[in-house]
Amino acid sequence: MKSLVSLRVNGEDLELAVPEAWTLLEALRYGAGLTGTKQGCDKGDCGACTVLVDGKPVLSCLTLAHAVRGEITTIEGLASPAGPDPVQRAFDVTGALQCGFCQPGMILSAKALLAHSPDPTDAEMREALSGNLCRCTGYTKIFEAVRLAARGVDRHVPVRYGTPAPGFDVIGARGRKADAIHKATGEAVYTDDLALPRMAHGKILRSPHAHARLLAVDTRAAEAMPGVFAVVTGADLPTPYCIIPWTPDETALAVGKVRYIGEGVAAVAAVDEETANRALAAIRVSYEPLPIVKDAEAAIAPGAPLVHELDWKGRPWPDNVCKDVDLRFGDVEAGFAAADAVVEDRWFYEGSTHAAIEPHCAVAQWSADERLTVWSASQVTHYLHRELAKVLGIGAERVRVIQPVLGGAFGGKSEPFDLEFCVAALSKKAGRPVKILYTREEVFYAHRGRHPMDMAFKVAGTKDGRITAVESDILIDGGAYHSFGLVTTYYSGQLLTGPVGFESYHFRSRRVYTNKPCCGPKRGHGSVQPRFAFECAVDELADRLGLDPIEMRRKNLVSAGERTVNGQLVTSSGIAACLDAVEAASGWKDRRGKLGRGRGLGVATSMYISGTAYPIYPNEMPQSGVLLRADRSGKITVFCGANDIGQGSDGMLAYVVAEETGVSPDDITVVSGDTELTPVDLGSYSSRVTFMAGIAAQEAGAAMGQKLREAVAATWKVEIGRVGKGYGFFFDQEDRSRQLSAREALILAEAAAGTPLSAAGGYRTRKVGGDYRGGTIGASPAYSATAHVCEVSVDPETGIVRVEKVWAAHDCGRALNPQIVEGQIEGSVYMGYAEALMEAHTFDERGLHSGPNLLDYRIPTSKETPEILAHIVESMDPGGPYGAKEAGEGPLHPIIPAIANAIADAVGVRLRRIPFTPDRVLAAIRAQGRS
Amino acid sequence: MLRMQGFTYRHARSWPEALALWSSSPDARYVAGGTDLLPNVKHGLFRPSVLVGLGGIPGGVREADGAVVIGAMTRLDELAADPVVRSVLPPLAAAAGVVAGPQLRAMATVGGNVMLDTRCLYYNQTEFWRGALGHCLKAEGTWCHVVGGPKTCVATQSSDTVPVLLALDARLRVLGSGGMRELPLRELYRFNGMDHLSLAPGELLTEIVVPAPGPGFRGAYEKVRTRDSIDFPLLGVAVCGRWDGRNPLTLEIVVGAASPQPKPLRGLEPFLGAPLDDVAISTIADLVHKQTRPQGSVAGDVVWRRQMAAVTTGRVLRALAAG
Repeated sequence: MKSLVSLRVNGEDLELAVPEAWTLLEALRYGAGLTGTKQGCDKGDCGACTVLVDGKPVLSCLTLAHAVRGEITTIEGLASPAGPDPVQRAFDVTGALQCGFCQPGMILSAKALLAHSPDPTDAEMREALSGNLCRCTGYTKIFEAVRLAARGVDRHVPVRYGTPAPGFDVIGARGRKADAIHKATGEAVYTDDLALPRMAHGKILRSPHAHARLLAVDTRAAEAMPGVFAVVTGADLPTPYCIIPWTPDETALAVGKVRYIGEGVAAVAAVDEETANRALAAIRVSYEPLPIVKDAEAAIAPGAPLVHELDWKGRPWPDNVCKDVDLRFGDVEAGFAAADAVVEDRWFYEGSTHAAIEPHCAVAQWSADERLTVWSASQVTHYLHRELAKVLGIGAERVRVIQPVLGGAFGGKSEPFDLEFCVAALSKKAGRPVKILYTREEVFYAHRGRHPMDMAFKVAGTKDGRITAVESDILIDGGAYHSFGLVTTYYSGQLLTGPVGFESYHFRSRRVYTNKPCCGPKRGHGSVQPRFAFECAVDELADRLGLDPIEMRRKNLVSAGERTVNGQLVTSSGIAACLDAVEAASGWKDRRGKLGRGRGLGVATSMYISGTAYPIYPNEMPQSGVLLRADRSGKITVFCGANDIGQGSDGMLAYVVAEETGVSPDDITVVSGDTELTPVDLGSYSSRVTFMAGIAAQEAGAAMGQKLREAVAATWKVEIGRVGKGYGFFFDQEDRSRQLSAREALILAEAAAGTPLSAAGGYRTRKVGGDYRGGTIGASPAYSATAHVCEVSVDPETGIVRVEKVWAAHDCGRALNPQIVEGQIEGSVYMGYAEALMEAHTFDERGLHSGPNLLDYRIPTSKETPEILAHIVESMDPGGPYGAKEAGEGPLHPIIPAIANAIADAVGVRLRRIPFTPDRVLAAIRAQGRS
Repeated sequence: MLRMQGFTYRHARSWPEALALWSSSPDARYVAGGTDLLPNVKHGLFRPSVLVGLGGIPGGVREADGAVVIGAMTRLDELAADPVVRSVLPPLAAAAGVVAGPQLRAMATVGGNVMLDTRCLYYNQTEFWRGALGHCLKAEGTWCHVVGGPKTCVATQSSDTVPVLLALDARLRVLGSGGMRELPLRELYRFNGMDHLSLAPGELLTEIVVPAPGPGFRGAYEKVRTRDSIDFPLLGVAVCGRWDGRNPLTLEIVVGAASPQPKPLRGLEPFLGAPLDDVAISTIADLVHKQTRPQGSVAGDVVWRRQMAAVTTGRVLRALAAG
């Protein structure tokens, strides 16, 4: 029942008519329109909804609106007419905001801390922020922000505030993220912050069975309910699709069968979520339960039930194997024969999920002229655009997809999901806009996270440290559908061949269907798991051969200009410098093996792609496009389809265009992720954006810069070669006192052109990769390289492992903005550390998730997250923009094996199954005592 | 988002008013800090028609008649920071300071922490999830998935303050339709996760009375958890006693988060009055191991949790004995 509630919010008295069952969060967001307060977990587990009541941080999602007495401060209340609060500014300046979704709550917790403890200790700070989960930053830059706020921060800091690399005006300088201050103030609009007139709210009915035939779905009672506008079922959206166009094996809602608990069966749009939920309860579904395939081993067992009886062409599937790859490079038998030692064992990598703090959300609206707009928290607007057109059966020219500000993705939003199709179909039926926001539980069912992999590895080496052969047999638990599975299967073998190389290689990888939520790409797609097995095996091999693990790796590095055993060309590599850096910083030589029982050091390396060579669907068009528009105001607007998912691609585009045009990045606006306004970029996946969109921006910026220089040269009546470019101005190289500002140059150029000023740039596919079936999958125009050393303590009585410190050196080529690169390294280390020690996306015999919420699925807080020391190595890549390569995924890989190897150094046990939970560690230690 | 619906809210300003509001509606529930109740309502575990809010009733700590009297509405962060609690009952302050995360402690009350509903991996889940499971004995079902049987529910009392309060032999002041009564905390809990509180319907916990422990008091609370914040305990160990050097004069040990009914360890008398040496400590740790049967209703391997009860107790005793 609605009744009036009086709230004192940010110094204003608000009188709102809201239901008595509403929380303060709902009253603020949906009653008062104060959408700066975020919602992440439904029930008090994440802290995103933190507001201050009488100066104390509380969770607005567990506070009844009608129960609040006291002064409420939301993120919108911190800024004053003079500008953002110093704490907001400090978060902006230090790069503490990536996706920004957790930050309103985090900033309020920091504000409260500093109010009573103006110069907090490290421990106080970690404690005070420990109820606010951040998934992007590894908390490192957040701590910096709090320290900076405590010291005092300038109110006005330009976007580029550091010193650029030699020879550059912008590139290489530390800088703020273009959009961070909007996130810090609560002004940024995320998908669930959108409210359209007459907007209805949708919910999706989900299957409680992991495997069942769908006999009937009766929606009549739901349709008849007051307040219900539309109902759709699988019959309304029967066209199969898949992010990989070769394997279209799923539908928006289940058709014929359900294949995992949580699969969508029907969807309802109603006047509000409560009514939609009641309508779902009125839908009658008859299921005929079928025996389930609970894991990969069961999937390949003789006589296993079939998850898919038919493929997308109607041909029978003989078994549950959805992809089988078997590739050989070099003479593996000879490699093993030449070896002095072979490590042969099995490793198991548990599944884990992205757990971005923002749940998936989508809004659809049909216009009077039958055009569809979908706003979605997606990292692949372009692919979503294509799939929406396909499944809805309408021309792509009638579909527009917009990505609002996005609250974290990590691969978890890199393909279409049921809600996007459902909002489109429901909105059409209902004749009004429809929004669907997943509950946290639904996010777990949508999943597409890290595949569990059961990995048999054999690694052979000689006394002099050469790795002569590697053989793997990997069984990949794919869940109910294909997703990126074809790619995953290749990646599990193809991405292992550097930076530590080997002479011969045989891998077989099979991805199988099981009755569980579908796995997909999570940061370090397909390659994190075998990297764990391989880097552990190399460590063990070094032990057996009596070699130092770092030395052993050094003897096998694939250098710049060389090809890996599977034919990938390494165009640049800073791996040797990475190893040197972490070896020196960690005191490796003096400390490894000498820290006493319970403390140890471990090392591991990895490499990763900077984008995949080819687009997901074959075409000859550019993989990334950038358009620039400039005018007499002195501003440039950059249009690019790339998705800023918090990693900072908008800021990267602004930086590159600023470098090329002389216009300050403060005067550059980026419009991205909108299929109507921006040229196509394929999306934020496979660490492709800095490399590919960066090159497109560089090309467009150079063209614009040329126009400006030409106009200046014409004005000065000098050769164009005499016109030099500074930061915000042009100058005469022969008379440096003669200068024109970039704004003046824009005016001259616009006048000279006689048309609006524009420029375009593109990234065109380069032919790379091995000349064999699958040789282009895992082929990339450039590879990053990473080495980590970590220090752990292991309590031999409890098995509790603490990661004390991580030295992470990453070769990203040119660091366009080192602050952003550090953030990517720190966030990667955090996410990998979490997989190594605590995260487990597991299911029981029924196929039921072990706890689809952020209390049972634990992601680390500010208190246990280790100290992370990011070190940037720059091996300039000849093909990258200014030499840049990827930084967002590579640095995740080594931390898991580095921790395992450090545990071995600390207590002498080799763990082969993640997560390294204390019971497993303790059992291994006790078993060691017995053996 | 998980939404709640179907209840009205009544704001009580005093205990008698709260009781009266509760009495006027057959399926009303009290809400203090809301941090335990509201997730359960969001999960459809309770469907009250009225929530009686206790937030308007003051809490606070006072000393009276050789005891520390704690208002049930005292927030956990206030309890953790209270100067009297910190000086007289340091393990209680420590326990209050490690409950969940900072925001939760600013909202949650000590009364709510004592009255906390029992928890289980199969129970504290959404309605959808429980439906897919086929429900459980504690909610809508007939089968306990932890023990694999139809009779006993082993949902766990998972409070951090309760083991300490039990070790300190706290008493509760409870207001019901028959007036105020006093009840030893040790009589509050039963070994039945479905109905673990021996209170009459509508009875309100108003105050917790903790006898001042007297000279030579030393105590500690150690929480075992995966993360250093937010998490409920996988296991908690409270040790309280009066000491003369290395000799315990009194000693109480309570292991929490193991079962519906936390209770003091039995068999400690032989260790009183003599120096608590390593042999004695390891014997006590063995006793803890023997008497603690952690239930699988809480995350973490049960064998490991049992081992941790012993290891943690041993460590706490060693530290306390050393002064």
